Amino acid sequence: MDFPIFHIDFIGNRMLIAVDAILHVIINHALAVGALPVIALLELSGIRTKDPRWDRLAYRLLKVIFIITTTVGALTGVGIWFSASLINPAAIGSLIRVFFWGWFVEWIVFVAEVSLIMAYFLSWQSSGRTPEAKLKHLRLGIFLAIFSWITMAIIVAILGFMMDPGNWMSERTLISGVLNPMYFPQLAFRTTLAMVMGGMTMICLTYLFTRNDLPFRTTVLRAISSWSGIWMLALIIASVWYYQVIPQHMLANIPVAVTTQEYVSWNSSLKWLLTIGLSFVGWVLWSSIRHPGQVHGAKYLASVLLLFAMLGQFERVREFIRKPFIIGNYMYANGIRVEDYPLLQRDGILQHATYAGIREVTADNKVAAGREVFEQTCTRCHTVNGINSIRGQLKTMYGDKPWQPEVIAAYIENMHGARYFMPPFPGNKAELDALSVYLASQQKRATAFNGAQTNGIPIPDKISASTVYGTLPNLANPHGEQQ
Amino acid sequence: MTAPIPRDIPLPLPAPEGLLEILLIAVFLVHILFVHLMIGGSMFSLVCQIRGLKTPDYEKLAYRIMQTVTVNKSLAVVMGVAPLLIINTLYAPQFYASSALIGDMWMAVIPLVTLAFLLAYAHKFWWNHFLNIPELHIGIAALETVLFLVIPLIFMTNVNLMLFPEYWPKVTGFFSAMLLPNVLLRYLHFVSATVLFSSLFFVWWSGRKTFRVEVQFSELRVIDVRRFFYAFAFGATIFQILTGLMVFVSLPAQGMSWEFTVLLMLGGLVVLPAIWWMWQNLTRPGHLLDDNFKQILTCFACAAIVMGIARHDYRENALEDHKAAIAEKTINYQAAVKEASEEAQLAAIKAKETDIALPGATAFNQNCAACHHATLPTVGPALEEINAIYANDPAGIVAWTKSPGKKRPDSMKMPGFPQLSDAELMMISQYMLSH
Ligand code: HEC
Ligand code: HEC
Repeated sequence: MDFPIFHIDFIGNRMLIAVDAILHVIINHALAVGALPVIALLELSGIRTKDPRWDRLAYRLLKVIFIITTTVGALTGVGIWFSASLINPAAIGSLIRVFFWGWFVEWIVFVAEVSLIMAYFLSWQSSGRTPEAKLKHLRLGIFLAIFSWITMAIIVAILGFMMDPGNWMSERTLISGVLNPMYFPQLAFRTTLAMVMGGMTMICLTYLFTRNDLPFRTTVLRAISSWSGIWMLALIIASVWYYQVIPQHMLANIPVAVTTQEYVSWNSSLKWLLTIGLSFVGWVLWSSIRHPGQVHGAKYLASVLLLFAMLGQFERVREFIRKPFIIGNYMYANGIRVEDYPLLQRDGILQHATYAGIREVTADNKVAAGREVFEQTCTRCHTVNGINSIRGQLKTMYGDKPWQPEVIAAYIENMHGARYFMPPFPGNKAELDALSVYLASQQKRATAFNGAQTNGIPIPDKISASTVYGTLPNLANPHGEQQ
Repeated sequence: MTAPIPRDIPLPLPAPEGLLEILLIAVFLVHILFVHLMIGGSMFSLVCQIRGLKTPDYEKLAYRIMQTVTVNKSLAVVMGVAPLLIINTLYAPQFYASSALIGDMWMAVIPLVTLAFLLAYAHKFWWNHFLNIPELHIGIAALETVLFLVIPLIFMTNVNLMLFPEYWPKVTGFFSAMLLPNVLLRYLHFVSATVLFSSLFFVWWSGRKTFRVEVQFSELRVIDVRRFFYAFAFGATIFQILTGLMVFVSLPAQGMSWEFTVLLMLGGLVVLPAIWWMWQNLTRPGHLLDDNFKQILTCFACAAIVMGIARHDYRENALEDHKAAIAEKTINYQAAVKEASEEAQLAAIKAKETDIALPGATAFNQNCAACHHATLPTVGPALEEINAIYANDPAGIVAWTKSPGKKRPDSMKMPGFPQLSDAELMMISQYMLSH
C-alpha cells in the first residue's frame, strides 16, 4: 500500500523468495553449520595420527565449502533481503524495526564467521610448518564452527517470531520475540538436522575424493559416519520433541476447521517423510559404521537428497503455518496490517494506496480498477499467468464454463474462511465487484501484468500528495492550517 | 512536479535516529573501502595481465593482486550488510520505493555478484590451467572486471533515485533512472575513487618487506611497480577532484545547503597537502615514495570521512521535507485507522445482538458460510440448492455434515465436522433451511 508494487509475473513473487531462501538454507545447513565441525574433526585426526592424508582431505573439503559458502551461500543470504524488500517491503521493514539489534548482532557474528573462514582456509597451508601453529589453526576451525552455529541460532529466533509472535503483540520487545515458545524445539531440530546433513554431505564428497585410496576411504567414512550417527540419535529425539510441542501449539492457533485438516495433512506428510528419511539415513549410517567400504556412493547421495527434502518439507510446513500472516496476528501476507482492515474495508483500499492510479470504481472503469485492486491485494501470492496463477486457480474452480463475476465475488468475499491461508479481502464492496469483473475478463485473453519496475508509478494525485485524511484534523500539526 | 507521500512503517525506530546515522556513515565507509579495493584489484590485475603478455613479471604481479581481490570481495559483502540494514531502517519509504522502481536490475545484483565472485575464484584457483590460453585467461579477468564495474552503477542509480521522490513518477525501469541527471557523473567520481584508493593500497602492499619474496620477479624491480601504482594514485586524485567539481555543479538543488558546500570544500582542502607531497615524491630526485606516506594516507582518510558526512548531509537535506510530510501523514493515518476500528467494533456489537435473535447464524457463518453462499454456487452448492434437496429435513443435513459423501463430480469433497455436536449441527441446519 505504501510502496510501489514490484511484480514478476512468470515465476511469481513468492517463488522468487522461496528459491533463494531454500538454496541459502541448504547451503547454510549442509555446508556451514553441519560441515565445519567435520572439517575440524578431520584436521584433529590428522594431527593425532600424523597421517597427512587426513589433512589433505580436510583441506580439499574445506575448499569446496569455502568456494560455495562465500559466493552462492553469502549472496543468497543477502538475496533474501533484496527479494523480501522488493516483494513485501512493509513486512521486512516492520521486522527490521523490531529485530534491528538482533540482526545487528547477527551481522557482527557474520563478519566474524567470514573472517574466520578466510583465515582458516587461507592459512591452512602455511600452518602446517610447526605443531603449535597447527594446533592454533585447529582452534580457528573450532571457533568458526561455533560462530556459524550462532548465526543460525539468531536467525531461528527471528523465524520463530514470524510464525508466532508470542508475547510480542502485547509487549513489543526484542526479548519477548526471541523467547517465544517454539524457539527451542525448532533450534534443536534444525541443529541436529544440519549436523546430519553436513556429515552426510561431507561423506559424499569424501567418497568422491578418496576413490583412489580405498583403505583410507574406509577409515574416514567410518569416522564421519560415527560422528553423524551420534547426531542422528539426537535428531530423532529432537524430532519427537518438535512433534510434541509444535503441532498442538499451532493447532490451537488455527481457527478454521478446514485449515486444521489441511495442516494435519501437511504435518503428517512431514511426519512420514521424516520417518522414512530418518530410517533410511539411519540405516545407511549404521551400515557405513559397520562396513564403511561396502556402502555404495549412490546410497550416500540418496541420503543427502532425502535430508534436503526433509529440510524443504519442514520449511514448507513452517511457511504454511504462518499464512495468512507474514507476521503472526499483526500483518497479513499481502503486507496489510490487521489493524488497517476496518478502514480499508470501509473506504476502499484504492483510496488509501499511495501508488494506486485509480481511486474510485465507476461503471466504466471496472476492469482497470479491478486490475489495481488485484495488484494491491493478490499479487504478493498470485501471478496472472505464471506460478500459482489466478487464471489457473479459477480454471480449476470453474473450468470452461463462463466465469461469472458474481460467483467469483461471492467466493472472494469468503475466501479467508474457505481457504484460511488467504487473508480476508481488504477492500470495499465496489472494489470486490471490480476485482471480480477484472478476473472474469481474464478468462479468454489474459492481459500482460507488469509491476512498477516496468510501468513506473502514476503522477501523484491529491490523495498521494497530501498528508491529511478527509475530515480528520491534522494531528501532526494542530495549529497549522488544514489543507 | 510533486512527490508521492507514502506512510512510514508505524513502529518506532530501534534506536535514536542520530545514533543510527552515525553508525550508517561509519559502516558505509568501511564497506565502500573494501568495495574500492575489490574492484580496483580486479582492474589492476587485468591491466597487469595484459602487460604480462610482454613482460612476464607483470603476470606474477597480476596473480598476487588477484589474491587480495578474493579476500577483499568477501569483506566488501559482509561489510555491506550493515549499511543495507540501516538504510532499510532509516529510509524505508524512500529506499523500498526506489528499489521497486528499478526492481529487475536491483534483483539482478544478486546473481551478478555471485557470478563475478565465481569468476574471480575460477580466475584465481585455475590460474595455471589457463596460463597458456591467453584469450581465456584474460577473458575471464575482463568479464569479472566488467561485472564488478556494473554492480556499483546499479547501486548508484538506486541510492540516487531514493533521494528524489519528485522524480519517481517519471521513472520507468532501470535505464530511465540511470539517466537521471547526475547519476553517471557520480559514477565516474566513484570509479576514480576506486582507482585512487586501490592504487594507494597497492603502493603500501608492494612496499611490505615480504612482498619481494612473495612475488619473485625475475627482472622487474619492485620500485618500478610501486611507481606504477603511485602514478595512478596521483592521476586519479586529480581526476577525482575534477569529477567531484562536476558532480557538485550537477547536483539537484534539493539537497544543497551551506553546510554541505563547506563540508565539500573542507574535504577537498584536506587533500591538497597530499597532492603536493605525492607530486614531490614522484618528480623530485631525492624524494622516496614512502616519504610522508602516513600523512598522505591520513589526508585521504580525513577527506573520505568528511565526504561521507557530506554525502549523508546532502541526503538528509534532500529528503527533509519528504520525511516531515511522511511523518505527518503517518500520524494522521493512524488516527483514521483508529476511528474506523472503533466504528467497526460498534457495528460488530450490533451485529451480535441480531445474531442472538437467530440461533445458528453465528455457527453457520463460522463453519459453513465460506463455502455456501445464499444464492450462488461457490466452493459448495448454494443454500437455495441445499434447501431444495433437504426441505423439511434438517436431520438429513446433520447426517451429511457428520460424514459428507462425494456427490457432485466437479466440486471438491466437503470436509467433515467432527468437532460440532449434534445440537449445534441441528441449529445450523434449521438456520439454513429457514433462509
Ligand atoms: C497469502 C497469499 C495469498 C493471497 C494474498 C491471496 N491468495 Fe489466493 N491462494 C493462495 C494459495 C497458496 C492458494 C492455493 C494454491 C493451491 O492450492 O494450488 C490460493 C488459491 C486461490 C484460489 C483457488 C481457491 C480454491 O479453492 O481452489 C483463488 C480463486 C484465489 N486464490 C483467489 C485469490 C484472490 C482473488 C486474491 C486477492 C484478493 C488472493 N487469492 C489472495 C494464496 C494467496
Ligand atoms: C470447504 C468448503 C465447505 C465447507 C466449509 C462446508 N461445505 Fe458443505 N459442501 C461443500 C462442497 C464442496 C459440497 C458439495 C460436495 C459434493 O457434492 O460432493 C458441499 C455440500 C453440502 C451439502 C449438500 C449435500 C448434498 O446432499 O448435496 C450440505 C447440506 C452441506 N454441504 C452442508 C454444510 C454445512 C452444514 C457446513 C458447515 C457445518 C458446510 N457444509 C461447510 C463444501 C463445504
